[in-house]
Amino acid sequence: MRGRVPEMLLGVGFLGIMTTLYLGLNWAPSVSINAFESPAAQRIFYWHVPSAWAAFIAFGVLFVGSALWFFKRSPMGWRLHVAGTEASLACGLMAVWSGCVWGAAEWGTPWDWTDVRLNTFGLLTLLALFLVLGRQSQPDGVETRDTFSTFGLFGFVLVPLTYIATRIWQIRHPGPVIAAGDDSGSLQSEMSLVLLIGALSFTVFIIGHMLISMRITHLEQRLESVQKSLDGGN
Amino acid sequence: MEEINLEGTVYLTVAYLGMIAGLAIWTWTVVVRSRSIEQRLAAVEDSIGLDAEQADNVAEQSVAETSDDATD
Repeated sequence: MRGRVPEMLLGVGFLGIMTTLYLGLNWAPSVSINAFESPAAQRIFYWHVPSAWAAFIAFGVLFVGSALWFFKRSPMGWRLHVAGTEASLACGLMAVWSGCVWGAAEWGTPWDWTDVRLNTFGLLTLLALFLVLGRQSQPDGVETRDTFSTFGLFGFVLVPLTYIATRIWQIRHPGPVIAAGDDSGSLQSEMSLVLLIGALSFTVFIIGHMLISMRITHLEQRLESVQKSLDGGN
Repeated sequence: MEEINLEGTVYLTVAYLGMIAGLAIWTWTVVVRSRSIEQRLAAVEDSIGLDAEQADNVAEQSVAETSDDATD
């Protein structure tokens, strides 16, 4: 039972995500047609924001894992690093994809190269892509782990920069709609509830994914060492 | 009756289908990879008569050696 916790989290998270989809499409109120070019497409928001939230959790795990490996040489730290990169990439791509589709509908362009928020988040996702592809193409070893951990540590600088980007330079990307610090970002209660369900569901889902990813890395290490001992290397 | 904005709905559908497909493919890949490696490991451990606890010790020694190499 205990060994299947990640799969259970995945299942619960997935159900929650589907519930968010249903509520976002059928229950959440429509936005004003005067405030948006494409009010129907605005419902992407109920997945875009939670996936970006989950991406930030994953970037946090990547940072902690990188630090644990780099400074403590912790095998658990390396597993967290690997799980964090894969989850960051998946959630980052979902946020970028949904943002591009919404941008195409609302702004008439999927991307704005002058918008700081879009570009810093895009860079974070590219960093995750680099780490995933790089790790797959390099033999596992201390030097490889050190190199990728360094990228994980320094790349995290982009996270607070992304967070404050729309507060300092609001160009295209909308400003904060929750925790804005004033009344400008308030949401209707139904919208907030769907968003909360979405954020919780994506959080549970991403934790399930990271636990499975950590298990895979652990099993790969075990398989490698058993094969080494079979070859007489140990 | 509320007017249906077809263009916006098309964008919405494209976005959601892309994300659902992405989530499904990613989850499927990870679960299959986990099962596959579990089976491979069980087969190797069975073939040499090693139980999971012993295998973990071997793995920990190996990781410790890798870490030691870094400090050399």
